[in-house]
Amino acid sequence: MEGQPAIDVKGVTRVFPGGVTALAGLDLEVHYGEMVAITGPSGCGKSTLLNILAAIDTPTSGSVIVAGHDLAHTRDLSGYRRHEVGLVFQLHNLLPQLSALSNVELPMFGSRWSAHQRQTRALELLAEVDLRGCESRLPTELSGGERQRVAIARALANEPKILLADEPTGSLDSASTARFLDLLRQLENRGMTIVMVTHAPDVAAHAHRIVEMRDGAVVKESAPR
Amino acid sequence: MSFLYLVTRNVWSKKARSIGLTFAVAFAVMTVVTLGVTSSGLEQSAAAIISVGSADFTVVQKDVSDTLSSTIDTTELARLQHTPGVASAIGVLVEIQHLNAENPVFIEIGINPADLAGFGVKVVAGSAYAPTAAHEVMLGWRAAANLGLHVGDRFQANGTSNTVTGIYSTGNAFGDAGAMFPLPAIQGYNRVAGIVTLAFVKVSRGASIPAVARRVEYGQPELTTIRTAAQFGRADRDLIYLQAAVNGSTVLAILIGAVIVGNTMLLSLFERTHEFGLMRAVGWTRRRMVALLLGESLLLALIGAALGVALSFAVAGGLSHLPALRGVLHPNFTPDVFWRALYTALGMTLIGALYPTTRAALLSPLKALSYE
Repeated sequence: MEGQPAIDVKGVTRVFPGGVTALAGLDLEVHYGEMVAITGPSGCGKSTLLNILAAIDTPTSGSVIVAGHDLAHTRDLSGYRRHEVGLVFQLHNLLPQLSALSNVELPMFGSRWSAHQRQTRALELLAEVDLRGCESRLPTELSGGERQRVAIARALANEPKILLADEPTGSLDSASTARFLDLLRQLENRGMTIVMVTHAPDVAAHAHRIVEMRDGAVVKESAPR
Repeated sequence: MSFLYLVTRNVWSKKARSIGLTFAVAFAVMTVVTLGVTSSGLEQSAAAIISVGSADFTVVQKDVSDTLSSTIDTTELARLQHTPGVASAIGVLVEIQHLNAENPVFIEIGINPADLAGFGVKVVAGSAYAPTAAHEVMLGWRAAANLGLHVGDRFQANGTSNTVTGIYSTGNAFGDAGAMFPLPAIQGYNRVAGIVTLAFVKVSRGASIPAVARRVEYGQPELTTIRTAAQFGRADRDLIYLQAAVNGSTVLAILIGAVIVGNTMLLSLFERTHEFGLMRAVGWTRRRMVALLLGESLLLALIGAALGVALSFAVAGGLSHLPALRGVLHPNFTPDVFWRALYTALGMTLIGALYPTTRAALLSPLKALSYE
């Protein structure tokens, strides 16, 4: 793995049924420990790229290698999603019937951890995202920012190497956005690779690198810091 | 959070769906169990009629629609009595009378008084009737208590007034709730001179009961032998048809229940598509998804089965008090009934859950996540 990029995307196209081309020969490399923001107008293929990296969508052609896994040849995609990447969506996507604690435990099923170990780990993660005391609350009893932090805790449950976030601050107010970005910064300082899709320039400015997309391809890269 | 907790939590959080499914299962189970216990109870009651006494086996005419329609004539009875291994064979005429609303099914047995003791009939008060008496009767102790009659009282039956000469006990609830008459008298009342309904057989000491029974059936193919209630069920065509109807109804109840369960689960699948997509996106395997959905279904099936059995107790109890079935239907809740409830509930739930579960497991995470 030494020297290899965390994410290596080469010539990826994604054509949806009906002929809509979301990605058109996209190339992208992201290195371990890097925080990359992907920006661009609506419909440029940002979320499609993230879905492909998360292995919940498949490219029409091209090669995608994430954390050493060539996704076209990875048989256990569930295991990949569980262990290699953590996903944060724009809308928190928590299960409404489960408490914050149980939502964080959800990805840990299948990780060969006992129920007690899962609970201990989830408690640690909630404490890490500053939600100690909110363990038993249902998503409806949490604010938008708190829900998004639960979503981050859930994404980190199986200690993934890469965090994929799709418009994570899109539904947050400015205070919650600032808190969320602090959290990302902490993860980045711990060496986590972060790929974040965002429309907001001030959010993108927190990344090492901004990748701008248009019409399914990378058109510009810049380093804001 | 354990897997079982997650299953329980999901079931609890979707209350309307869970209640709907539980009641669908419960009603199907109730139908199947009630049919089972009533048919089994009717079989037991019918078998009790012919097992009054302490015979080794009972002989009836083969292939009759109703065992009480069996006719064995004097010649056949004589041949039976001379079959090797048969120590004694007593011909008995059994008739059912509608005495009154309280006693819609009243059993009348015509038997020679000399044969009473040999077949476990004890005279507990008074004495037996004379062998050829025209208007004498013995009442079972239950019948005497129900009718408020004592030795010396008059008992109206078969259009005649009879003197109660004694009270007997057989140890069989059905037999003790009836009456015994001299055989010629009851043959006369029913205009079947020389005919008996069935024969109680005792085998010689040391003889094998099954072997003697087989010998009887081989020697007299027009007759069949009955040793257990189950064999009685096979000998009586009405009960065979009843059992077939029960089995058919069971299959139908399972299928109807499965359709309801499947339909409800399919609706639930649409409601929960986003949830399933999310679980797949965070790394849940298809197998785990199937386990979760089947776990939820099985939990509801078990609750439905328990509720169905409880309902069937109430319904069967209510049926046994209907005037037409009073005294005849004694619901028979055997362990087999509970297994039937369990496999009905599990069968219909698994059949019903098969398609929705498979569909949920095969959902594309992306499509499911974008489902509104």
